[in-house]
Amino acid sequence: MGLLSILRKLKSAPDQEVRILLLGLDNAGKTTLLKQLASEDISHITPTQGFNIKSVQSQGFKLNVWDIGGQRKIRPYWRNYFENTDVLIYVIDSADRKRFEETGQELAELLDEEKLSGVPVLIFANKQDLLTAAPASEIAEGLNLHTIRDRIWQIQSCSALTGEGVQDGMNWVCKNVNAKKK
Amino acid sequence: MKLKRLLLRYYPPGIILEYVQGGELKTKSIDLLDLSPGTDVGTLVEEIRKAEPLITASRKEQVIHLILRLQEKLGQQEDHKFYLFKVLRAHILPLTNVAFNKSGSCFITGSYDRTCKIWDTASGEELHTLEGHRNVVYAIAFNNPYGDKIATGSFDKTCKLWSAETGKCYHTFRGHTAEIVCLSFNLQSTLIATGSMDTTAKLWDIQNGEEVVMLTGHSAEIIALSFNTTGDRIITGSFDHTVAVWDVGTGRKLHILIGHRAEISSAQFNWDCSLIVTGSMDKTCMLWNAVTGIRVATLTGHDDEVLDVCFDYTGQRIATSSADGSARVYNAETKKCIAKLEGHEGEISKICFNSQGSRILTASSDKTARLWDPHTGQCIQILEGHTDEIFSCAFNYKGDIIITGSKDNTCRIWR
Repeated sequence: MGLLSILRKLKSAPDQEVRILLLGLDNAGKTTLLKQLASEDISHITPTQGFNIKSVQSQGFKLNVWDIGGQRKIRPYWRNYFENTDVLIYVIDSADRKRFEETGQELAELLDEEKLSGVPVLIFANKQDLLTAAPASEIAEGLNLHTIRDRIWQIQSCSALTGEGVQDGMNWVCKNVNAKKK
Repeated sequence: MKLKRLLLRYYPPGIILEYVQGGELKTKSIDLLDLSPGTDVGTLVEEIRKAEPLITASRKEQVIHLILRLQEKLGQQEDHKFYLFKVLRAHILPLTNVAFNKSGSCFITGSYDRTCKIWDTASGEELHTLEGHRNVVYAIAFNNPYGDKIATGSFDKTCKLWSAETGKCYHTFRGHTAEIVCLSFNLQSTLIATGSMDTTAKLWDIQNGEEVVMLTGHSAEIIALSFNTTGDRIITGSFDHTVAVWDVGTGRKLHILIGHRAEISSAQFNWDCSLIVTGSMDKTCMLWNAVTGIRVATLTGHDDEVLDVCFDYTGQRIATSSADGSARVYNAETKKCIAKLEGHEGEISKICFNSQGSRILTASSDKTARLWDPHTGQCIQILEGHTDEIFSCAFNYKGDIIITGSKDNTCRIWR
């Protein structure tokens, strides 16, 4: 990657490039999702201390996906990455019910950010492979997603581990990238 | 004009003249870039005396003595083995760039955690944290050779000037409309130049903190800039595939170096300001006459993007590093490839010579930094330990300490 490549991915993307920001609490499965998207090995994933960037081709788009570490102490730095975001993907551990409130709060704060205003948001209800996972409908209700009116949004149940539902979510992303990209 | 005293400069080899003119103390340098242990001292001193009237007959012995000392220094064979001295873990997010002051007594690190930290080289202790930026601190620099000031350029679109001694912020330079990604002091330490993703570069007055001039004309992001040694020219390298040469005094564009077929990655003057080297994503490196702007040579050989280029201190050799995982050394005179540095298992994003020109240091995405012999291309040492890719690396002036900055949030000192 290198610093120079990061700068190249930072600049205003040409027509067919999409900048996607992948956020969510620690242990939500963001990096697993990123690696699943890039068809990479997902057996040895450790907490992300900084960020990971991968580019994947999908439906004629080059998706530059930025996976940002979700630990509490580095969440204040999420805003380093807001500029030029085309789509926000927010990942939730559907089996970690104890943290639904926390993750809902973080999401609400993101949706209030001026630099992310109007940016389409996809919420992945991840870890559906676990028996204890809450269904997407329950999470949508718990997070009051229906009150989001300033942008298009979607919730998609998935398992980053098995890959189930991931492609459906990315199809939605490609369909709903801002009109200017098309 | 009256000569006060003579000073020695080891790298690049030279003699500094301190003299009085019109009651004012001034300095100038006699560059001895071609000096080697085998150079005939008698002939050289005669040449110097012919060209420099300040060197009178009475000074001859002293000049001979200085040249002998330079030759002794140049002839020293060092076989320094580096070991990991300290791991600095104070940054909580990935590092960007790192830089030493001239004496090497301290160094600075920039980070995604929005700070720049000043470190004591000998102890590895954190001296100051420069806080105030609202986004990634990307570009950093000391005003070497003085080393009393630090400049930081940030994704928050501002540049800040700090005291290296106290960590106090002197000025915040506002005006860019996008991320600042490169900056430099002039050697005279009167100006800071900043290059930005907003396609412009700006020159700022260090004393009063005002914008002196804006350099406009590029049609894409500026990602590299470099002053020449005398400080009257500056070059900017851009993603628009060109490099521009500007007059510092007026901000007028003197030349556009057109030839590369992809984004510029790096651009630099050589010491005597006669040549410019540029690296590009088009897999080549080009050499240009700095005065006329005419291309002198195209250095080919890499199989992928050239990510970094640099001259050695005397300007006699050029090193290039590439996304193909190799680095190369070229002779600036013959333009021939002298050595291939092969062994890294990932792209090489940074490359530099030590001041002596006897070693090359490379930083790679394979999580290692490597030390090479520029003459043979042989890998001398692999610096292992980082747990993620290395973004930046630097030698101190003496060449016996190395620092590396990584995506793993640490900086490591090797000595």
